[in-house]
This record gives sequence, structure tokens and C-alpha cells, in this order.
Amino acid sequence: MQQLERIRAELSDAVSGAPSARAAADRLCEVCVELLEIDGASISLIHKGATQGTFGSSGERSRRLDELQFTFGEGPCLDSVAQDAPVFAANLDASDMTRWPALTGAMLQHGINAVFALPVSVARRPIGALDLFRDRPGPLTDDDLTCGLWAAELAALPLLDLMASVASRESEVTEGAGWDQLASLERVEVYQATGMIMAALDVDPAEALVRLRAYAFSHSLSASEVAWAVVQRRLLPDESDWRRLPGRQSGTRP
Amino acid sequence: MAPEVISREGRVVEAFVSLAGSLAAGDDVMDLLTMLTTTCADLLDVKAAGLLLADRRGVLHVMAASSDDAADLEAFQVQRAEGPCQDCYRGGVPVSVPDLADTDARWPQFVPAARRAGFVSVHALPMRLRTDVLGAMGLFGSVTGDLNPDDLRLGQALADVASLAIVQDRASTDRDGVTRQLQSALDSRVVLEQAKGMLAFSADLEVGESFTVLRQFARDHNLRLSDAAAAVVSRTLPVTQVLSHANERGTRGR
Repeated sequence: MQQLERIRAELSDAVSGAPSARAAADRLCEVCVELLEIDGASISLIHKGATQGTFGSSGERSRRLDELQFTFGEGPCLDSVAQDAPVFAANLDASDMTRWPALTGAMLQHGINAVFALPVSVARRPIGALDLFRDRPGPLTDDDLTCGLWAAELAALPLLDLMASVASRESEVTEGAGWDQLASLERVEVYQATGMIMAALDVDPAEALVRLRAYAFSHSLSASEVAWAVVQRRLLPDESDWRRLPGRQSGTRP
Repeated sequence: MAPEVISREGRVVEAFVSLAGSLAAGDDVMDLLTMLTTTCADLLDVKAAGLLLADRRGVLHVMAASSDDAADLEAFQVQRAEGPCQDCYRGGVPVSVPDLADTDARWPQFVPAARRAGFVSVHALPMRLRTDVLGAMGLFGSVTGDLNPDDLRLGQALADVASLAIVQDRASTDRDGVTRQLQSALDSRVVLEQAKGMLAFSADLEVGESFTVLRQFARDHNLRLSDAAAAVVSRTLPVTQVLSHANERGTRGR
């Protein structure tokens, strides 16, 4: 149990101490390889409207395999996002392994016999996946699956920041531990403000959360503070620059 | 049917009948939990009720409340990680506070917030499933004093039925199944908040009003509340359609 707690903390540190979103994604993949019984990891972003592709990896081989999924248009990471569920292929060399005809051969050629894809969600929508590659076949252990799911949760942070930099080039290095940052995005007022931004800017939930977080960073505010300002109509989301308004003090600000 | 003064016993029976009916019909968990809080506020000697559920990491989320004040107060407890509902969830046993004035030291942030909202007593009941604690229900009173034992037992019985409802969808018996269904209930909640935000922004409503508007729409169209919310968020149900229905029904403004 203590072991798991240590892994949980190390994964959290991986995404919070890096100099950029890409470095955070790479670091998270590297820590997965260090701590879990796997040989490679990669993180890809598959969100419409954003630049899709591989954004983090533990090394060259994982990066290439992840990118091949985009080339072939098939693979566990694309499936896990489409289904919003983990996709496991514990033995790629099995005779009934017909899901990804082109990719399977390429993975076997690279010495990969098992692959596990875990969806990465933002605002409860899958926007990408964490792929875990392993040379030998066989299922993930329960503990490794637990840790993999934690890593997939944390991977939302670098992906959010990558989407922000694509959208507005406002991505800054983030402060605070990974879990605390995630918790700050999981508040009622943040969900409500996300909905208001969706309506105001005609964007989807993930993009709305990206805008909220980007605004918070560029004004040195917390996501919660920005969310309250939006919910109370003191801040009006706008395409160019959000407008500050006198607003109305509806609801009690805890 | 002529409106009559229905006996308390009659209302208790009615509450269980509608909870059971909702269970049997496979109704939306969101609807059911909202009904639970309003039923508790009606039947028990309290002013309002709110309900918190824990996600797979043990982080509590506001699931339902009988009033905005109760929802705010539950959210406050989650954000500040203190308060009777928080303690009730952690300990898995009821926490009774007959007079908040005596407990300033125990919850230095929660007590002033509760009193500002007009509450002077709190009784928190655990949401239990076998040996697990799923969350807590807070009963907020506007008068001091212990809740009478009958009310406490009735509140706990209603909470227990609701706990069963959360996990009844796919008759899951294992821990993973329970976790998945809790997660799906929490996801529904997030989507509901996003939908409320979209409606609130589009029609310049208070967030609480937009909930009333959406619930009315769902009921009149025989939709589950969470399905209606998901349709709004995915834009398969235009916000304008929900709002014009509200105008026809005169739901707006409560």
C-alpha cells in the first residue's frame, strides 16, 4: 500500500515539475516505465480542433509506434478514445488478434507483444490516451493497472496545456502538485463555468476548460476564481479578450 | 383529486413508494438523488438536505441538494475539506450537531458559512453499501436541537435505499462495479452542471433556475434528467428548444 502511495506521488510530481507541457508528458511516460512492469509509454492527443498526434513518450520506439497509429488510422489509443474505455491487447501475436491488421505487424516487428491504452479525459470527455507497451505478452497486474489509470488521469494536465498553447500560445509552466491541479478543475463552479463558456464561445467542454485554465494562468488566478467570476457574470468569456463586468453577486461565494 | 392534508405516515409511505417505483423503473440516479434530498427536507424536521458522493480517489462531490443554499454549503465542505458531512464520510458514522454555536472550534470555516446561510444545526448521515461508505447526506436545520430518533432512522433508511439505487443499474456486486457506477453517477453530475451553465448563459438565468428549466423539459418529454443534460451538452438538443419550452410552460423565474 505504501508502495502505491509512493508511485502516486511520483506520478504527480512528474507532471508538475517539468519546464513545459511536452516535457511533462515525456516525464510522465518515463516515470511509468520506471515504476510499472512495462517497456514503453506514450501520450497522444486526439481531440477535434486540436493538433492531433503523439505529444509525449518514454523514448524513440514508443513515439514511433504511437505515431504509426495516426499513419494507419487504427490502434488501441484511437479505440480507447472512441470507446471512452481502456483497451487491452495482452497478446498481439495471438491468432485472433485482428483488430489492427496494419499496426499489429509493426508492433511485433518492434518487439512489442502487449499494449494497453487508457483514455485521458478532460471535462469528462476523452481527449487522448496513454499507451503502455510491453515486450513480453501477458495482462497488466492489478497494481500496474491502478497506477496506469492514475497516470492517465494526470496526463490530462499536459494535454490541457498543449491544447491551450495551440489555441492561444498562453501556456505557462504550471505551479502546484498534479493532484492539486486536477482537484482544482473538479469543482462545481468550474463545471458550471465550463458550460457558460461553451455557450458563449460555441466550443466543446474540453476546449471550454482549456480557455478557462488559460485565462486563469495568464491572469495569475486559480481556476476556481475565474469560474466564480464567470458564474457570477463578473467576467464575460469572449473570443478576443474576456470582459470584466460589474456582474451580480448571485449565489454565495464559499 | 382534492388536495388534502396528508398525514406524515402517509407521506413517508409515499416517499418509499416513489423511491421504490423509481428503482423498479430504472430511473435516472440524478433524479432519484434529487428526489431523496427534497423528500428529506419535506419529511424530516430540517430546512434543507444535500448529498455528497466520493469518486474513486475518495474525493467528495456534490450530487444533489434540495436548495441552492444546501448545495453551496455541501460544495463548501468539499472545497475546504472540513465540516460534518466530510467527517461523516471519513468516519462512516452519523455526525450530529444540534447547535452549531457550540462547534466553532471543530469546523472554524464551515460553521460561519452555515450560519450565514441560516442554518443552526446539522445532521450528517453516511451513504452506506455493505461495508463501504459511498458518501454522506447532510440535513441542515434552521432550529437548534437534536433530530428526533424517528427522523434520524427515517433519514438513514432513505439514504440506504438511495445507496442501493446508485449501484442497482447492473446488479454489480464487486468493488469495481460499484466504483464504475459511482463514477458514472458523478459523470452525469458534471454533465448536468455543464448543461446548467449553458442554459444559464444563453438565457441569462441563475444557475439554479436553469436546473428547474432543464428538469421541467426532461419530465415533460419523458427523458431522464441526465440524458437531457447530455443532449444539451452535445448540442443534439438545442438550448433554444429547452428555453422556449420553459417560456411556454412558464417555468422561468420559479
